[in-house]
Amino acid sequence: MSTGSISLRERITSRTEHIWSHLRFLAGDRLACAGLITLGVFVFLGVTGPTIAPYHPIEDYVRTAQGDIVRLSAPSMDTPLGTTEYGKDVLSQFLAGAQPTLIVGLLGGVGTGALGFLVGLVSGYFGGWVDELLMRLTDLTFSLPFMPMALLLLTFITPNVWLITAIIISFLWKMPARVVRSEVLSTRERTFVKSARASGASHLRTMFLHIAPNVLPIGFLYTAYGVAWAIAAQASLAFLGFGDPTTTSWGRMLRMVFESGTIRIAWWWVLPPAIAIAAVTTSVFFIGRAYEEMINPEIQNQ
Amino acid sequence: MSDFRRFIAKRLTVSALLTLVSVTIIFFVLRLLPGSPFETLITTGNLSPEQAEEVFALYGLDKPLWQQYLVYLKNLLTFQFGYSILQSRPVWAILGPKLANTLILLVPALVTTAVVSTAVGMYAGWNRGSTAETTSIAVTTFLRSTPVFITAIFLLIAFSYTLGWVPAFGMRRVTATPNGLLDTYLSIDFLHHYLLPFTVTVLYYSGDFLLLARNGVVEKKGSEFLKLHRAKGLTENEQLVRAGRNSLLPVVTYFALRLGMIFQGLILLEVVFGWDGIGRALVLAIEQQDYPLVQAAVFIMALAVIVMNLVSDVLCAYLDPTVTANGGAA
Repeated sequence: MSTGSISLRERITSRTEHIWSHLRFLAGDRLACAGLITLGVFVFLGVTGPTIAPYHPIEDYVRTAQGDIVRLSAPSMDTPLGTTEYGKDVLSQFLAGAQPTLIVGLLGGVGTGALGFLVGLVSGYFGGWVDELLMRLTDLTFSLPFMPMALLLLTFITPNVWLITAIIISFLWKMPARVVRSEVLSTRERTFVKSARASGASHLRTMFLHIAPNVLPIGFLYTAYGVAWAIAAQASLAFLGFGDPTTTSWGRMLRMVFESGTIRIAWWWVLPPAIAIAAVTTSVFFIGRAYEEMINPEIQNQ
Repeated sequence: MSDFRRFIAKRLTVSALLTLVSVTIIFFVLRLLPGSPFETLITTGNLSPEQAEEVFALYGLDKPLWQQYLVYLKNLLTFQFGYSILQSRPVWAILGPKLANTLILLVPALVTTAVVSTAVGMYAGWNRGSTAETTSIAVTTFLRSTPVFITAIFLLIAFSYTLGWVPAFGMRRVTATPNGLLDTYLSIDFLHHYLLPFTVTVLYYSGDFLLLARNGVVEKKGSEFLKLHRAKGLTENEQLVRAGRNSLLPVVTYFALRLGMIFQGLILLEVVFGWDGIGRALVLAIEQQDYPLVQAAVFIMALAVIVMNLVSDVLCAYLDPTVTANGGAA
């Protein structure tokens, strides 16, 4: 037992060192570095946004000294990002809108990564009918079109952040599942796995202690992509009018400006959420790209 | 060849079963979720209970669920999608032209992006580490990770609202009443409306093809057969053509896959540009709870994915014999 725990601790230390070296590598790549900074700002906004917003994004109206509602005004000293058609402060909506985007992105991404990783691991490790069953299940989620199905479900059940996250996960897990499975298939045949089995390690132990660490990088990669996909999916659903009606999100802001018909003039209302969504999803992919270069030796060896 | 046949037979069976399961799921999701388009008509008094029963009988909604299911299966498999509840026209008469509108936008755009981006990607992979490579990757990463409607909004602001070069909405001038196919799709007016949605589609899908082609060429670069070609004295470009040809397989199969998934991907694009396609029709039908229309549109989208998945698998197996050798597991 004692030898087992020491080797486990060693494994954890070497793993953390590994992760640090990965982070150092990412910081060296210019695009990935810019991506990390952008994501940092995004997380900061997501956590503090609602509290530093000068107005309540939905309830408060911006009023003049006379008490008139200020509709569709360009950026000024009082309202740095202008106001909306409905007399709300764009800056406040923008700050508050970061939160649902962050929640859905983070949970959706981690959920997608974790579920896909588990399915891929189990499917690839056991093979046979387990594999067949799980892979046909992924085929099925591939053939059920995500957008239409999500729209259908959301018309009948009032959308909220958690439901949207759950729907996104239930459609996106297939991506990491397939990739992780094919990685597991090749890892499974390697000598150290066979020797672990031969020395009496259980299936669970072999799967999680011997195989999982070797396919973890690709799992991380798809978790990162999952974050970007989840944010894009959430923004798209909100833009089509199927977002959570009680909160402000960046996608919903775009929906409002598009619906109000003022998209032609109100650039101060369109650009902040549009640029923010584009910046966040692109950052995630820049980091993912750099990470992929690092863990894929076939591309790296040049 | 028998390996290949067995592989095809297996994939065909799987696809047929998938279609069956998908349509079953679509059916039950639609029927078991609460709410129907008639409820509003009945509660507002526009439809008396007797009339409602007649209408229910007309649409077969008075029968038990399993009978409805069987009828539904039979109708779908014979491509009879029934009547739209709100427009009182056959669903196919509504969706057919919209499907054509979608295809006329998507297929040329996808072919263009596949050809251009693959060529650029191969060039980028060959010149690894050059400014051209880093720039093209950065730009296409941005384009493919940004949700398509946001790219569309950026381009709309630039080219339509600010510069006024192209119209922002619709497929043709409001006053236009085209007669016949030629007039519908080959007028200057149509082209004018076509440009921006086409460009956005091309840009949005460029990233995947570019990366696939680029990674393919990068992986081939150090391989033995290229050393031979170099030793034979082929020029850089001739070598690139040969490396590129050998890395085309993922591009081809990916093209087939993308073609299948494209209907759903561009729902947003159709909404932003007011393009009268199947995606926009679906969103409207969902909002109006027009079940037969929703059912048919989702079915068409699911079928496209399943069929193109099959085509992609078969192409892959046909072009790469090692795939069938391991039973098509991967």
